[in-house]
Amino acid sequence: MFKYRGYAGKYLRADLTRGTTTPFDLEAGRCEKWLGGNGWGAEILFSEVPVATDPLAPANKIIFATGPINGTLMPNSGRLECISKSPLTGIYGDSNAGGFFAPEMKFAGWDMFIIEGRADHPVYLMIEDDRVEIRDARHLWGKDTIETEHLIQAENGDDQIKVACIGPAGENQVRFACIQVTPQRSLGRGGLGAVMGSKNLKAIAVRGHGTVPIAQPERFYDIAVKCHEGIRANAIYPAVSRYGTPGIVSLMNKIGRFPTRNFQSGHYEKADNINAETLREGYFVKDIACYACPIACDKIYRVREGEFAGTTVRSFEYETLGGYGASIDNDDLPSIMKATDRTDRLGMDVISAGRAISFAYELWEKGILTSEDTDGLDLTWGNYHSMLELIEKIARRDGFGATLAEGVRRAAAIIGKGSDYYAMHVKGQEIAAQDGRAQQSMGLAHATSNRGADHLKAFPTIDETGYPDEARRRYGERYLPEIADPHANKHKAFLVKDGEELGAVVDSSGNCKSGGTFVLAQIYWDEMAEAISAATGMEVDAAALKRIGERIYNLQRAYNVLHGISRLDDTLPKRLLTEPSPSMSAKGQVCRLEPMLAEYYELRGWDESGCPSEAKLLELGLEDAASRLKAAGKFASARRE
Amino acid sequence: MLLINPEKCTGCLLCVAFCSFRQERAVGPSKARISVLKWEDKGVFIPFTCLQCERPLCLEVCPVGAIARNPKTKAVEIASARCLGCKTCVMACPFGGVAFDSDRGTAVKCDLCQGQPECAKICPTGAIQFIPDDAVAEEKRRQALAKLPSLLGTAFLGRPD
Repeated sequence: MFKYRGYAGKYLRADLTRGTTTPFDLEAGRCEKWLGGNGWGAEILFSEVPVATDPLAPANKIIFATGPINGTLMPNSGRLECISKSPLTGIYGDSNAGGFFAPEMKFAGWDMFIIEGRADHPVYLMIEDDRVEIRDARHLWGKDTIETEHLIQAENGDDQIKVACIGPAGENQVRFACIQVTPQRSLGRGGLGAVMGSKNLKAIAVRGHGTVPIAQPERFYDIAVKCHEGIRANAIYPAVSRYGTPGIVSLMNKIGRFPTRNFQSGHYEKADNINAETLREGYFVKDIACYACPIACDKIYRVREGEFAGTTVRSFEYETLGGYGASIDNDDLPSIMKATDRTDRLGMDVISAGRAISFAYELWEKGILTSEDTDGLDLTWGNYHSMLELIEKIARRDGFGATLAEGVRRAAAIIGKGSDYYAMHVKGQEIAAQDGRAQQSMGLAHATSNRGADHLKAFPTIDETGYPDEARRRYGERYLPEIADPHANKHKAFLVKDGEELGAVVDSSGNCKSGGTFVLAQIYWDEMAEAISAATGMEVDAAALKRIGERIYNLQRAYNVLHGISRLDDTLPKRLLTEPSPSMSAKGQVCRLEPMLAEYYELRGWDESGCPSEAKLLELGLEDAASRLKAAGKFASARRE
Repeated sequence: MLLINPEKCTGCLLCVAFCSFRQERAVGPSKARISVLKWEDKGVFIPFTCLQCERPLCLEVCPVGAIARNPKTKAVEIASARCLGCKTCVMACPFGGVAFDSDRGTAVKCDLCQGQPECAKICPTGAIQFIPDDAVAEEKRRQALAKLPSLLGTAFLGRPD
């Protein structure tokens, strides 16, 4: 039996080129040094996927990983972590999804699947407890994600099988293709669905009948119940439960942080037509939850009449309302729901797809694109029929869709004519519906995130609309009042660094960052440490966990630095740095990135080019990273010579 | 009894997780005495477990008298030390209330956690409530009436939820 409880104790390596599947005993050291999911994936990518490897080549690896908390009593302990080199950014990539897949992996007795190679025809992996098979998936190729899930469940006669699969977009290697996870949750970001497509891997299906062992049951029960009670006593619990992420549409709109017409503005004048209240009143069907989640931020919504009658969506989020709504000046909710349903079925990241489309709409407005470029589509703001058509074309790489399927960075290079100014991305990944001008820490978070533009790596919420009480609980008086002020730059480097490290740990534990950590801020370092210690028997305190988080983040950064990433890439689109926001309380603000970035590097122990120092890497036990960066001449001393 | 209201169930499986933990000190749906039956497409989730019948067929058919009612909690319990593993009770129950644990080689079922069921305690939405048998009808009437204001207007019971 494995040294630590909480873990299943074994992982799988599948080589699709050779058609082999091999189980391995989980190593205690891997848990002690990296904890789980996010950490394991970073370490494997760093050690096993060389810099020269094309993300869509067979030598890239894709890792599906759980953590020691997955499938337990802890609130929202159902998150799945997926790691691979990203075809969108060309650097470190990861994505995280809710649902029930990760707990099912644990119940089946697996902590992690590591997949490499390329099958010579479409296949899927079927894993039921100890039994692992590579199955023919030719009959599934071309099917959408929901059909694929149902067909796999039906042909195995078990509707409780959990499936992670790609749709046509992943098959066509759209650079922001996602992986859909039972029940319709998304490993959305970074184009990891294209990696599966490049491997001819249509799906992974898992079913388990075992249990997750707990080291110290009474102690674990106590911390789990404490976290549940804390979440349910939180003042915003009823609102988050009732509205989910769409609940923040009105809030973000009020502070000028809701990107409108491709970030021309942060305030959408028609936001009331697409806000949470309108959604709940007109379309709500049911609250649905991920594994062990008391919040149930997910909902089923249905369109009952009109052109899109019958459209049913779940995982319908703030980001969708931003991307397919405000960002293209579209306040027709049923069309946004239809667009979301199609995007999920085709298997694409709604954030990147929405941003690619709003990019095209702005180029149309500026006269850079005409109907000759767009296969005849009229991309006037608000034209949702063209949006729906573009979604299909992108997924099938058809005509102009093939350009957008490359992501906005590459699309701007193809289109030229100054279009790059309107390409809202960092390191090649499209920016979510989070305007860094209205919340300075969000600007910094996007610039530093290891997977390219991203609000969820650092997940700064303390200063979103100002939560001084939570700031006080977490950090004491030391950083107040600035840390809770969205327009202040002071202490934001600290906020972002702390968030990145806590996020890395939460994403390694199997817990949900949104659920208990950053939104209903209940689970912080101490609670995380207590839960992990009690579940595993591997005694860690807050300081030890912080060190793991810092180690993970630095290894990801080191991997990116080896790929040529430096301070020049830790930036934002010019628009956010130079065009003052015209909106609400953010009016007149740009993102003042440079002073925050300088402070951030200093706190991190990185040099002025953004390379982790040798001393920092050695302090964190990252000898391999230190020697590889040294050999590549990345340290400041080598650069000066 | 455990009063179950599927309309309120979000399918989170916390009841299942806490049940298996209480029984096994480990977490896994296959070891829970309660299931949440799911029709994901329709968003229909129904928690289901032993109904603690007044005339329990499982108890009547057990050839060795391993099943008895706990006088304090009214739960129908299996004394696993006496259980033969013959599965007669599993077959006799019309609701799937009794399961067979092949690792243990005995029948297993809900024992109401000695009168404090974990499933009801942790359920975040009130989809599972533990209330005295005699109070069930009134509670159901209360839940039914709570839906009426939206039909009758807000003057009746205050603002609808």
